[in-house]
Amino acid sequence: MTTFTLVSMAVALLGAMLAVGLSNILYAIFGLGLSLLGVAGVFFALGSPFVAAMQLLIYVGGITVAMVFAVMLSLALGAKPTARPNPWRRLGALIPVGIFAGAVGMGLRSEGLDATVLDVSTAIPIAEMGMALLQEFNLVFETLSVVLLLAIVGAVTIAQRPPEEEA
Amino acid sequence: MAAGQLALACTMTPLLAFVVAFVLFRNNHAMAIATSLLGGAVSLAAAALLFIEGPQSQPITMEWFASGDTQIFFGFILDGPSLLMGTIVAFVSFVVQVYSLGYMAQDSGRGRYFAFLSLFAWSMLSFVYAASLLQTFIFWELVGLASFLLIGFWYRKPSAVAAARKAFIMTRVGDVGLFLGVILLLEAGGTLDIVTINSPEMLVTLGPKVELIVALLFVGIVGKSAQFPLHTWLPDAMEGPTPVSALLHSATMVAAGVFLFARFHPLFMAAEDAMGFALMIAAVTTVLASTMAMVATDIKKVLAYSSISQLGYMIMALAAGGLFAGLFHLTTHAIFKALLFLSAGAFIHKVGSNDMVAIGRAGGRQLKTTTLGLVVGGAALAGIPPMAGFFSKEAVLHVLGADGFTAALGAGYLAAFMTAYYTFRMIFLVTRPNDASEASPAEPVDASHAHGDPTSTMRVPIALLSLGAVALGIGADALAGYLGLEAPHASLQEMAPAIGVALSGVAVAWWDFGRSGSAQRGFLRGAPAVERLFVNGWYIDAFYKAVVARGVEAIAVVCHALDVRAIDRTTDDMGQGALASGQAASGLQSGNLSRYIALAAVITGLLVAWVSNA
Amino acid sequence: MNLEVLVMFSLLLFSIGLYGVVIRRNLIAVLIGVELMLNAASINFMAFGALHASDPTMGPIFVLFIIGLAAAEVAIALSIVLSVYRQRRAIRVEQLTELKG
Repeated sequence: MTTFTLVSMAVALLGAMLAVGLSNILYAIFGLGLSLLGVAGVFFALGSPFVAAMQLLIYVGGITVAMVFAVMLSLALGAKPTARPNPWRRLGALIPVGIFAGAVGMGLRSEGLDATVLDVSTAIPIAEMGMALLQEFNLVFETLSVVLLLAIVGAVTIAQRPPEEEA
Repeated sequence: MAAGQLALACTMTPLLAFVVAFVLFRNNHAMAIATSLLGGAVSLAAAALLFIEGPQSQPITMEWFASGDTQIFFGFILDGPSLLMGTIVAFVSFVVQVYSLGYMAQDSGRGRYFAFLSLFAWSMLSFVYAASLLQTFIFWELVGLASFLLIGFWYRKPSAVAAARKAFIMTRVGDVGLFLGVILLLEAGGTLDIVTINSPEMLVTLGPKVELIVALLFVGIVGKSAQFPLHTWLPDAMEGPTPVSALLHSATMVAAGVFLFARFHPLFMAAEDAMGFALMIAAVTTVLASTMAMVATDIKKVLAYSSISQLGYMIMALAAGGLFAGLFHLTTHAIFKALLFLSAGAFIHKVGSNDMVAIGRAGGRQLKTTTLGLVVGGAALAGIPPMAGFFSKEAVLHVLGADGFTAALGAGYLAAFMTAYYTFRMIFLVTRPNDASEASPAEPVDASHAHGDPTSTMRVPIALLSLGAVALGIGADALAGYLGLEAPHASLQEMAPAIGVALSGVAVAWWDFGRSGSAQRGFLRGAPAVERLFVNGWYIDAFYKAVVARGVEAIAVVCHALDVRAIDRTTDDMGQGALASGQAASGLQSGNLSRYIALAAVITGLLVAWVSNA
Repeated sequence: MNLEVLVMFSLLLFSIGLYGVVIRRNLIAVLIGVELMLNAASINFMAFGALHASDPTMGPIFVLFIIGLAAAEVAIALSIVLSVYRQRRAIRVEQLTELKG
């Protein structure tokens, strides 16, 4: 495990904790961005620089920015914090998470993953990935494009201002 | 036409007529009546044709359904006994229908009445020709239904409704025995086909179980044919219109039990203990019913008790092994009892009362045809030669004597004396009222029920049946040959006791009721305790009411309490429980997105753990 | 590198994301948690994809699809948030309980 990998992992986890911990929404989004950066680093370390680049471009560059826009729009419309938080909330939230993590962890333990070693010395050539996209995974690829189109159309439709007319 | 088609026509036409009439009866009495009559006529024609064609050796069957290894057929058995019985049923049924044209002419429910008559005809005929025990049982029950509907015909009268219910329930009690017998027979014998059941191989298969089976089947017969102790429904059944009494409760329906006995005679004969039991029951019934007839004041009740007694004769004969004697007496009884009832009906129609003294006082004997019918029928009932009733009763007594059943024979003679006595008591009360008489009607006469002289549609059947009552005696040998049996021939010496007993009964009746100046009260007034015993039916009905009815009511109360407290409460609680758990579960649906996701995560985690550890 | 470490890392990241979903009251914050969970899943895919070398492109390609779909999902989710916000003036999770039953 190279240092780079470990650092990336640490950054990702730190960013995640910031993302869920900070009460200011904008800061939380920055935390998310940091986390995504860390994850991109892990991808790079796993031998796929192309995916790391995509992660940076789309996730950090696109999605995070979109969220910031959404926050700006809703904040600008004057969202106010309402009720006082319940002091037991933190503990209450930890319980399901704990159950989940514990259960899955136990399951993983019993599978015996300990000693497997990955070979990631060679990066996967991009040309191969491109070919795979257009050959084996062609259908999924095309479908994904359609989904994206629908998402755009849907998003626009949903977020439209309702037409101003007498109901 | 083929026999099968004739049988189908005979049995199904009344059903068709019933359906049509039942649909029409509310609006169009005339059409309903016409349809019913037409059905009856066609049915009679078919039955007559079948009779003429003669007995068929093979039953006509079709497979109905199969359950496991058992195949259930339905079809027609067209042997001698069933053709004979079928003709009798169709004939008496049609005759009664014609009679009813006059009798029920002013009744507001006559369309319904005729529809029910057709229903009965269908059920009874199908019962008679049935080839499978299942068919027999189904139509046995249907006949009971028709009887219920017709006894309770005047449903606004509470006594009629009560009588109908009593009839149905008492015969039902018997039917439980019948049903158990059928089940046992099916289980031990593996088939419900009547021909197979009567074969010798079946007797071997059944072994000692045959006693129990026959005893249970006989219980059904006790119910349906009103033998002791299930006889008390028949006198009450006289609440129905008189033609109904003529058809169902003398000639045909109650004879269904006897016919069942005859139908399964080979099987029954193999169960000697059961036959001894049957003989005893029938002997007791014969005498018992005759005693009650001796003191009855209602003409229909006299005839009802008489029917019970005569059915006892038939069963005694059959139990003693005399198949011909039993069937012969069944035939003659059908004719002369129907005749007696129709005549009684004409009297009732004219006078508006059932009471014999009232009828006599109101000038009953002025109805010539009717009186003739009464006398001819009465002579046949009393067993006076040369009436048909004499020959058939003689046949019964002969069978009892020849096979050494002396106790039963004694009962037969005793009952014969009493029969002659009460029959002529009835005749004399109606035809010879006299001034010195101390008798008076049991109830005041309600003149509103009087409908006038009997119409021709009423007199013709009476005349026809009178002819039959006389003529049948001659045809005994031919009948026996037709049935494939032997008619017993007794010498005059052997017949003498029977004749003597009958004539002495007539003589005592003459002394008590017939001669001018007689007090018309009967010799029993010398023994008032005995008379009271007879009048109250030996307190059997009172016993039933006090013990059985109360007992059943008590059980019903307990069951009702159980039902309400335990069962209803349980189901209500289950319902409430379901509702409560629903309320609790709906707490999960908080609508809070985060909670949903948390729950999903927890469950997924647990699933993963389970799958990987399993 | 060690598969176990990678899987533990992804489990941890996922749990953090899950915690964020459960505890945060702002809808957009919930969305952040969801994104974290998606990323954790991507890591898993990459890791196991590298493990089974029969077709080494499988892992990365799957991750690409996840990224694409995540983008689409975020677009729609944000537009829904905006729409809900316009109608109700609230993006607190506990105020949006129309599906309560």
